[in-house]
Amino acid sequence: MTAAPSKRPPFLRARRIGEIALHAFTQLVRMKVFYFLVVFAAILLASNLIELPQHAGPESVGAGILRSIKSWSLGTMTLFSVVLGITATALLLPKDVEDRTLYTILAKPVPRLDYLTGKLLGVLLLIFLSLALMDGLMTATLQWRTTMALDQQTQAALAQGWPKEEIEVLRVEILAQGPTWSLQGAVLAVFLRAVVMAAIALLLSTFSTSTLFTVIVSFLIYFIGHFQADALEFARQAGEAGQSTAARTFAGAIGLILPNFQLFNVIDAVIQGTPMQPALLGKLAAISGYYFILYLFSSWFIFAKKEF
Amino acid sequence: MTAAPAVEIRHLVKEFRTSFRREPLRAVDDVSITIQPGEIYGLIGPNGSGKSTTMKALLGLIAPTSGHCAIFGKDSLKVDSRDDVGFLPENPYFYKHLTGAETLRFYGKLCGLSGKTLRDRVDELLALVDLEAARDRRIGGYSKGMLQRIGLAQALVQEPRLVILDEPTAGVDPIGSRQIRDLILKLGERGITVFLCSHLLEQVQEVCDRVGIIFHGKLVKEGSLEDLIAIEDQTEIILRDASAELLAEIEMLAARHGARWLRAGKPRTTLERLFLRETLGDDR
Repeated sequence: MTAAPSKRPPFLRARRIGEIALHAFTQLVRMKVFYFLVVFAAILLASNLIELPQHAGPESVGAGILRSIKSWSLGTMTLFSVVLGITATALLLPKDVEDRTLYTILAKPVPRLDYLTGKLLGVLLLIFLSLALMDGLMTATLQWRTTMALDQQTQAALAQGWPKEEIEVLRVEILAQGPTWSLQGAVLAVFLRAVVMAAIALLLSTFSTSTLFTVIVSFLIYFIGHFQADALEFARQAGEAGQSTAARTFAGAIGLILPNFQLFNVIDAVIQGTPMQPALLGKLAAISGYYFILYLFSSWFIFAKKEF
Repeated sequence: MTAAPAVEIRHLVKEFRTSFRREPLRAVDDVSITIQPGEIYGLIGPNGSGKSTTMKALLGLIAPTSGHCAIFGKDSLKVDSRDDVGFLPENPYFYKHLTGAETLRFYGKLCGLSGKTLRDRVDELLALVDLEAARDRRIGGYSKGMLQRIGLAQALVQEPRLVILDEPTAGVDPIGSRQIRDLILKLGERGITVFLCSHLLEQVQEVCDRVGIIFHGKLVKEGSLEDLIAIEDQTEIILRDASAELLAEIEMLAARHGARWLRAGKPRTTLERLFLRETLGDDR
């Protein structure tokens, strides 16, 4: 036999990471996670029938249904992506250790960073594709309902003898509630939040002894992340009032290691029809990228020293 | 310049901290092993004697408390030392959702193989381990023996110069065990170094050139198999169709030359050989 054909592989080799990612994706797909899409479709259908409470006149009925579809869809997407991001990531590593498949992988020339990156990217690929499918369904439903609402409302307005300018305003209002680029931005924000959560779960699973612990602590961090901003603001104010100079430093340090998930609440504004600025999406992407890299490299730091 | 040994373990010590004991548990205690390229080396010892820990340290899966491990001169804790090594762990489990061929492709890609090279290699390995008929069957449906064989195939996927096998026949029936043993011998014929650890002594005796005995974490004996198991002051003569008269004459001749006649009788086959002969007609 001849010697090994491969040259000495550097860290973060894209093809190898891609292979691990693709494998993790296949593994999760075969766990039948896509069944959730059926649940999503059912929720989407139901959202067509549920109207959010509104105090405006009958001309807002169509827009109300559109808001209901967006609200239920984005809510379900958030739930799905966060739950999947946490549980799938928390499950993959311990499963490989338990089944000893990790031995056979790490006994190959596979750097541990590549293994972790691949696993994480596999989960994110699954979330991304699932969200893309859900987004497709939601956009199609919204398009259909927007056209319906436009026809109904325009006809009603014409019957009531509304002036042309007011009908145009009504049309713009209804279109703003339909499928827009801001809505696609909101779906991307849902994905980015899942990226951060999956990276947190990966970090926890590198030192946790049980999957349950990883899942529970990850959800805890998720909830803390939603109240973090308020707590930090309180600490900042205390610092400014001269009560504690350490409070501001503490607040800054916490912000560096724990994400503020309130930033992702821009989704709520999009549901209400407010456009999302590209700069805001860019900011969210940058923040998510920072935490992704921070948690991934922290995971590697722990995992590199781990013994099997 | 001499070639680096395939395996070099120098004064390896591995201690584990346990939550219940204050004193760390010393699993491997000052073990030194050198295996030259092309050798088939067997590390034998009872369960819990430190065999698997030694192998894991050699593969960089655990870090030595002290001492040093190297594969073909490369530090075991470095990733590039794994370029030339294949590993079959004890009771391996592979991804159940993959077929045999997919499993080999996955491991091949991890080692940087692709395209036709990978396809040919997968075909070659499936033929080598006699799993061509089960190539598209999911691993979840494989028997224990098949799992061990696909495990051996994945260990060989990047054509390593060293193969480390941890209890390769654990839980495998005699037929499967024989197949794995034949594969190990084939590897030896191809010049691949094999580091095998087992507590099945007969199996080690059949395939290994050199043997080390590990007990309570210490390497208590090491040497070539012939040297270790030969009884220096005794000689064995095996005759076919010898009459009682001839045996009596030999006994008298031996006595005349001062040698002591210890015993004469029919050599026995092993139960395993009998089983293989009766089931497969294998008369080796």
